Amino acid sequence: MPEDLVTDCHVLVIGSGGAGCRAALEASQYGETVLLSRTLTGKGGCTIMAEGGYNAVLSEDDSTGLHLEDTMRGGAYLNDPKLAETLVIESPDRFRDLAAWGSVFDVDGDCVPAQRPFGGQRFSRTCYAGDRSGHEMIATLTEQIRNTGIKQVQETSAIDLLMDGRRVAGAITLDGNGNLGAITADATILATGGGTRCYDISTNCAAGTGDGFALGYRAGATLIDMEMVQFHPTGAVYPPDSRGRLITEAVRGEGGVLKNNLGERFMERYDPERMELSTRDVVSRSIATEILEGRGSEHGGVYLDVTHLPAAEIERRLPIMLEQFLQFGVDIRVQPMEVAPTAHHLMGGLKITPDAATTLPGLYACGEVTGGIHGANRLGGNALADTQVFGKRAGESAGKSPVFAISVDIKEVLATEAARCEAYCNGTITPHEITRELKRTMWENAGIFRTKTDLKRAEATINRLQNLVPKATTRRMLNECCTVTNMLTVARLIVHGALLREESRGAHVRQDIKQDWTPADSPFGHTVQSLFGTSIEDKRGTA
Amino acid sequence: MNTITFTIERFDPEKDPAPHIETYTVDVNEGARVLDALHAVREQCDPSLAYRYCCGSGQCGSCSVRVNNEPVLACMHEAYDGMAVSPLNLPVERDLMVEMKSYLQDLAGITPGIFSGYLTMEANEAIRPIRDCIECLACVSECPAIAVADFAGPTAMRQEMRIALDPRDDRDRAALTVDEGLFTCTTCQRCLEVCPKHIAIPGKAIEKLREIAHREGLTIPKHQTVAEMVRATGRSVDHIMPTVLEQVPDVIEPVGEVRGEVGFFVGCMYNGRLPDTALKMLAVLRRNGIRVIIPPEQVCCGSPLIRTGQTDFIPELKRINIDCFTKRGIDTVLTMCAGCGSTLKNDYDTPYRVIDINELLMEYGIEPPVSSSVPLTYHDPCHLRRGQGITEEPRAILRQLTDDFREMPARCCGAGGGVRSGMAEVAADLGRDRRDAIAKTGAAAIVTSCPFCEFHIGEHSAVPVINITTLLFEAYEKNDEESGEETDWKDLPCRDIE
Repeated sequence: MPEDLVTDCHVLVIGSGGAGCRAALEASQYGETVLLSRTLTGKGGCTIMAEGGYNAVLSEDDSTGLHLEDTMRGGAYLNDPKLAETLVIESPDRFRDLAAWGSVFDVDGDCVPAQRPFGGQRFSRTCYAGDRSGHEMIATLTEQIRNTGIKQVQETSAIDLLMDGRRVAGAITLDGNGNLGAITADATILATGGGTRCYDISTNCAAGTGDGFALGYRAGATLIDMEMVQFHPTGAVYPPDSRGRLITEAVRGEGGVLKNNLGERFMERYDPERMELSTRDVVSRSIATEILEGRGSEHGGVYLDVTHLPAAEIERRLPIMLEQFLQFGVDIRVQPMEVAPTAHHLMGGLKITPDAATTLPGLYACGEVTGGIHGANRLGGNALADTQVFGKRAGESAGKSPVFAISVDIKEVLATEAARCEAYCNGTITPHEITRELKRTMWENAGIFRTKTDLKRAEATINRLQNLVPKATTRRMLNECCTVTNMLTVARLIVHGALLREESRGAHVRQDIKQDWTPADSPFGHTVQSLFGTSIEDKRGTA
Repeated sequence: MNTITFTIERFDPEKDPAPHIETYTVDVNEGARVLDALHAVREQCDPSLAYRYCCGSGQCGSCSVRVNNEPVLACMHEAYDGMAVSPLNLPVERDLMVEMKSYLQDLAGITPGIFSGYLTMEANEAIRPIRDCIECLACVSECPAIAVADFAGPTAMRQEMRIALDPRDDRDRAALTVDEGLFTCTTCQRCLEVCPKHIAIPGKAIEKLREIAHREGLTIPKHQTVAEMVRATGRSVDHIMPTVLEQVPDVIEPVGEVRGEVGFFVGCMYNGRLPDTALKMLAVLRRNGIRVIIPPEQVCCGSPLIRTGQTDFIPELKRINIDCFTKRGIDTVLTMCAGCGSTLKNDYDTPYRVIDINELLMEYGIEPPVSSSVPLTYHDPCHLRRGQGITEEPRAILRQLTDDFREMPARCCGAGGGVRSGMAEVAADLGRDRRDAIAKTGAAAIVTSCPFCEFHIGEHSAVPVINITTLLFEAYEKNDEESGEETDWKDLPCRDIE
């Protein structure tokens, strides 16, 4: 085994999406920082594909109190109040950081950021750059990263956290050619993003496989609320291979209306007050109900229509939507889109403090891999804000960590990992056969509407799949095998959480449970899962 | 499900001495993209196939490949039976993966400042059109200047312009970009043609950076000479023989029935350097029933100045060139120079319609010329193909002139953007590249429709270069020989000597 494959640094950041890039920029002020990414820097993760925008209280007529209330209400009061408060208070400052670094968000008149209305919010507070808001952020952040001395390790995966006793001391890596390595660090930040790729229909990019949840879990970290999966109301439905592709909430924010095959604006029946701009959980369930009851569109969705808007406005504010649909033969200036819900965001994740510390010493986390900020349902526009607020906090906390003298024998750890890789080389089933079955069972049995019977069925399938060994035909496929293993772990955490939570709340709906409480006075708190046990917090004092 | 068969260029640096083509047959869903077809190959045929991808929705720029030699985003381009997939024209790491990291690392970033307010509307509007870049490097992979010169490349220039436009960064970019090869770009617009986000890098970045360079006195001396000549004479080139405008009257009546009427914008090159070519074109129009009106007071369109950033007196040129036609009530103006046509169409806001000679001939239809069996190939002038979107019309004409028409790859000859005058070496390298491409076709002559291309390729090609209308002229002469009938279509009236 080559010994020169060990790199040392002060802070290791795993993941180069919005949160990881922000964390690395912050951490680099304190010492040598490595930004590890399984893709090219900035190109992975969901930030670059995020379209809608960034929530920030910038107007005198708005207030962080109001933003907090919207966030908590939207989250069905499952949010960790301290995290949610940190988010709304610091989001404007982090937006200003981006401006200082050269971001080009749209303005409404000279030097006034433009803000659009988004679902579940009582104020137009979503800042945007057309419908390429996340791309604008990544462009800004990567420009800055190229200006600094941050060491970028690209197209290399973290396949396990490097443990020194209970302390996280870096990560074990696998490069694109299947070579193992290690990066040791005084502090490590998980910024690996979301994981809804374990669903058949998902908005996530190819890297949205939830590896960070699995890495953290295997290392002994505590995760909360993993059952809280946001189904975005509007994903593409046609052609088959583009099912699930995100149709931004900005379409509704700019005035798009939802209609069924009878031409009815059906949101009148589900949320007459907020209509299309209700929270995502409500709109998703409404669309799913229309489709289930036979009022769906030709390809099994409903219609999302902007044809009443002036063409010039569509071209200016929704250029990516226009372009994408044109590629598939639909001109949204004159034709309605067909949309259906798609797995979008994991609200649950690693339990963190407001300083982004996980339950493991030496490990920090930020972005979608964390839990608690968004409760049971995330508001559109809060995720991009989350990446910046907690990215900075994680970078700062990790940067201020003391130097840690590692005592573990890395050779020994690498030997164990090599054995794991060897097992994959002798595997019996292709990774994609496993993921195909996993995605299907998750979509069918752990989707928008859930029952104990279905969840148990999903659990049984996952158990069976976990007993199979994925096969790496070449060493370059080892990454894929590690990813499949991680996806199975994430799926299991989601299903276990869903079984633990015997109530409907936010994005989580248990059709087999009758309840007589509203989210605000639910007796339940977080579901908690770790290697050391699983439970749900119960305010009634019973277990 | 559809079954498709297609090829992929494969390369394993550890095993293969050179890239090789493999054929695959896979099942894909209806409407599958190239990326879905690549996934299908990996799942159904060969799990070792290497390619980059991530967002799957055209926003991360990871998955650029070439399909039938044209760069596309694999996740957005529809897959089809018979397609040929190959890596971008950049150093290949493995299969469809090319080296991108070092280029991306070198892209400039703005200097971080302290927050001091948001952008003005004006700055926002200015930066926005060049901000959408997803760094897929399609432009870099296809840029002809990078191949032969020390040029940082299209998207690097776009990024420099984005910084130059940003009030939050007050560093001077112009001097830097001159060192990065700003003047080696031929403005061929290949970068725009392949950009999945349609960013007009030549017009919105290169020419604008050259304007800044000009204001700072960094313009190449030879370009300054051209500007001085336009200022003094209204023309960008001198002449040693009588010009077109000196020879022809204001109006040339056609032979026989009048089928149409156009104003003619001659352009400096045809007027001063290649007058015979222009006169033959006029004879062809005369034979085909088009009345041509030629205002003698017209001047240079300004293209050589706009391309090199010397825009100070462009408004005056525009005024003269618009007025001379409108005061004669002309509603359609003909250009036979691809560069003039592109400039009038894209840089002017003309009250009249501008039409290229190839468009005009196809629109009105032409008397069938005698066809030959001489093998001919065609060079697409950048300002015709990409500047005006004209590719089919000249080919349709050529197919009437030969039954052995041979295609060659469309690539800049090196003459445009002031490169021929200012960066002769770069232009010569690209010219030699054309010579090799022409030789490969085995054609006996190369046909084109731009005076710069004609001049420049003529210097490098081993076979003769012919203007498309000259070829038509010669074919009509043969028509006359064969029929034995002859009208006076070739006898253009002369301008009265005053």
